[in-house]
Amino acid sequence: MVMPNSRVRSKDPSAGEVGAEMRSQVRMAALRAQTRRHFLRTLGSGLGTLFVGTSLAQYAKPGKEPASAALDFRRDPSSPLSELPPQFAAKVRRVIYLHMAGAPSQLELFEHKPDLKRLDGQDCPASFLAGKRFAFISGIPKLLGSQYPFHQVGESGHWISDRLPHLERHLDDICFIKSMRTEQFNHAPAQLLVHTGNARLGYPSFGSWVLYGLGTENQNLPGFIVLLSGGKSPDGGKQLWSSGFLPSVYQGVQCRSHGEPVLYLDDPPGTSRSLRRDMLDAIDKINQQTYAAFGNPETITRIAQYEMAFRMQMDATDAMDIHKEPDSVRARYGSKPGESSFANNCLVARRLAERGVRFIQLYHWGWDSHGADAKEALNLGFADRCREVDQSTAALLSDLKERGMLEDTLVVWGGEFGRTPMRENRNGQEMKYVGRDHNPGAFTIWLAGGGVKPGITHGQTDEMGYEIVKDPVEIRDLHATMLYMLGFDHHKLNYSFQGLEQKLTSVKPARVVTEILA
Amino acid sequence: MRRLSSRILREFRFGLFLLLPILIVMALLVFLPPDGNERAEWMQFIGRFHPLAVHFPIALVLLVPILELVGGSARFSYLRLSTGFLLGLATFAATTAAILGWCLARSGGYSGPLVTRHLWGGILLTFFCWLCWALRTRRSHPVPIFGITLAMLVALVAWTGYRGGQLALGADHLTEHMPSGLRHVLGVQDGFTASSKVDASTFYGARVHPIFATRCVNCHGPDKRKANLRLDSYRGIMGGGKDGPVVQPGNALGSDLFRRITLPSNHDDFMPKGGKRALSSDEVKLIELWIGAGASETLAKDAIKDAPADSGATAVREVTFQEIDLAAVTRGRAAIAPAVAQLQKRFPNILDYESRGSADLRLNAAILGTRFSDNDLADFATVAEHITVADFSRTGITDRSASTIAAMKRLRVLRLMSTGITDATLLRLGVLDQLESLNLFGTPATAASLPAISRLPRLAHLYVGQTSIPPGSPVPDSLAGKLVF
Repeated sequence: MVMPNSRVRSKDPSAGEVGAEMRSQVRMAALRAQTRRHFLRTLGSGLGTLFVGTSLAQYAKPGKEPASAALDFRRDPSSPLSELPPQFAAKVRRVIYLHMAGAPSQLELFEHKPDLKRLDGQDCPASFLAGKRFAFISGIPKLLGSQYPFHQVGESGHWISDRLPHLERHLDDICFIKSMRTEQFNHAPAQLLVHTGNARLGYPSFGSWVLYGLGTENQNLPGFIVLLSGGKSPDGGKQLWSSGFLPSVYQGVQCRSHGEPVLYLDDPPGTSRSLRRDMLDAIDKINQQTYAAFGNPETITRIAQYEMAFRMQMDATDAMDIHKEPDSVRARYGSKPGESSFANNCLVARRLAERGVRFIQLYHWGWDSHGADAKEALNLGFADRCREVDQSTAALLSDLKERGMLEDTLVVWGGEFGRTPMRENRNGQEMKYVGRDHNPGAFTIWLAGGGVKPGITHGQTDEMGYEIVKDPVEIRDLHATMLYMLGFDHHKLNYSFQGLEQKLTSVKPARVVTEILA
Repeated sequence: MRRLSSRILREFRFGLFLLLPILIVMALLVFLPPDGNERAEWMQFIGRFHPLAVHFPIALVLLVPILELVGGSARFSYLRLSTGFLLGLATFAATTAAILGWCLARSGGYSGPLVTRHLWGGILLTFFCWLCWALRTRRSHPVPIFGITLAMLVALVAWTGYRGGQLALGADHLTEHMPSGLRHVLGVQDGFTASSKVDASTFYGARVHPIFATRCVNCHGPDKRKANLRLDSYRGIMGGGKDGPVVQPGNALGSDLFRRITLPSNHDDFMPKGGKRALSSDEVKLIELWIGAGASETLAKDAIKDAPADSGATAVREVTFQEIDLAAVTRGRAAIAPAVAQLQKRFPNILDYESRGSADLRLNAAILGTRFSDNDLADFATVAEHITVADFSRTGITDRSASTIAAMKRLRVLRLMSTGITDATLLRLGVLDQLESLNLFGTPATAASLPAISRLPRLAHLYVGQTSIPPGSPVPDSLAGKLVF
């Protein structure tokens, strides 16, 4: 809620007067904040409107069960992250989301398209281009077959290229969705859509919703931790792990992979832990008074975050310290302490998962293989990216599996959209390096772990890997499915904001993809 | 004689006037029967009011015997005075409904014996209604004939109403959802299996016919035949409808049937009509492949290679969310709620209900690490039988907790990862007959515990990484494939 922008003007007022003045101002502000939606909602509770509402609801949403009692997410204000049981018994307790920022090419990794290979170098048919928008392709591009050979692996018979030799040992644990679709073809909005369910700024990320719905097990660590690698932040920026309109205590906490996990987490030299405690107690007291006067939930967030930082001083440093792992484990991940590498982050992710962190979000940047330079070339930079993630992703899956954690952890791997079966021809010219443009029409992600049917592929694209021919899955369908695995009906994980019961999957109908449920 | 006939004429003047429309509808039905074609908009528009109007005479007619019977007692005798008026009103309403019904049948694309029977039933009942009214208004007439006519009228209402229900909701609408127990007792056959006489070894019989049978025959079946098209048999499909053939063998895209099921669902020609769910992509694909392969009746079931796999059920499974009954939840938790609340206060964040609708508990001591000891665990004995998931990974518990753990009889998941638990405890876990997952990663467990563990009937996963059970070591048969190293 936005507070009126006026401060106490009188220099030396008695405390009571200030309180009264403040309260009347707050009441005035609350009255001004009454919008048409508030008015209509209040009106709606009248009996007649209730009747009309229920009878009209049948026409508005055919086949939907009637709206019913909302779930209660209220908590003790002093512990906003405390655990709440899920709506119904669920297999998944935590999520590790590996986001490949920049959109990795599905045609070089998981989508085996022999016909595209056969037509490599030929002009793209006009039907592929009609009515389509591209980021860079212009004129008539050439079709581009996969740059790497494919082979079949395991009992599931998944096709995979030779770029992920470690991961391919785990394909029988993995479920592919090859028919993901998005509405956005630029990185930042597409990433926002993947992570917040909305391409515009200001919406809570998936991790924030989960944290809001379930709280976190370990109160000495943030419940939603973000780790970056690849040398650059994702294009969507910090908005990708923002809590949007949810109280900001639910936002993702970005941690560094070396040194202090969070800057200035350690006490400066000469400050003892008891002195720090006294300091926090004093600040708390002031904050409590502020909250009593204004009732702004953000004040609670502030108190909770001071307290968490204090507790984190002990536990976070320990959780992030991969020196504590034996050499053999570090070797398995290919991790070298001190770097901000994806390998280190995977190892940290496992350590955080063991410590009961609810949502662990990894970003690895550098998959935007347009072919504009060597780093972006499918035959050069792309191969490096594969090397960077392959071994550590596989090690993470094996670690989780042998520790029995894959039973209740959901691992998701994917980008924000797919790439075209046409070779990028920036300005209509053939480019020096080989690359592909953005394709929002079809991309591949995979899931593994609790709640997921292992070793299957859901959905299918055409012979060129360009458009979906079977079982399209929208981002909101994926979100609804993940929430289902976590124990929620996506209609019911609500937060009241701007007069609406907001939800992750927004207003369009989303479907739980039952075909991939274990 | 003259006086009598003039009296009859006087009394029946209005009655005869009402008989005329009944005769007209009867004539219409004889000379212009419903033939499965759709006609003028106006007629269809008016006809659609038939289902609305038809319930009025039904209610009126059924009221008459009630009033007559109750009016038999002296106290309610005044009720009988109104039956004549009621019957007159019913005759008028039934006539109107019959006219509307003919409009609907003639213009709405209906044909077949079902609709014909319903129509004749309607007209007959209108006529009987008129007869009853005529008899009732002639007070001098003996009562028995009136009683018999009225009984027949009520029977006609039931019979015609049932036919109408069959038209609107399907031939087996009364028995379709009859519980199988009751079905067995009453000897009612399952309508679907009784009517499907197709060869299940053919592609048509096994894959295509079931789609039509579940999705199309309600309107295009033996009874309703909309657009004069029947999809309940191979002959019917190939015979086509009022606009000619609907299937061109070998040419799916040129077939009207395929065109209609693949149109956008808001298109006028889209099938199935009336807001019914569209055919699934697999169903459309099967029909396309079948027509493409020549729409044969005899083609073998697995002759078409690319056909989507037969999942057993044609419909895709959808998730349904159960409402949480808060009162029931409170009742279920009543026995343990105080103990749980107390434990939650002492050990924040490690004990909670498995879900908002459940009275089962999940204990996650792992986050406390070695701070969680045998003594702490002993405090959970009061709720032991409600714990279904217990995670003691990296805690300080030892074999001293063996009996506490063994008392958690409903455990599904037990994690003892990196604890000091040894075979001594494991040998006592044979009582956990609900256990599905047991995690011994990094414990001092040895192969000696395996025979005891192998007796757990529901165990699916046994995690033995970093124990002294090496990969590839011999395991009891019932554990084969369940060990994760």
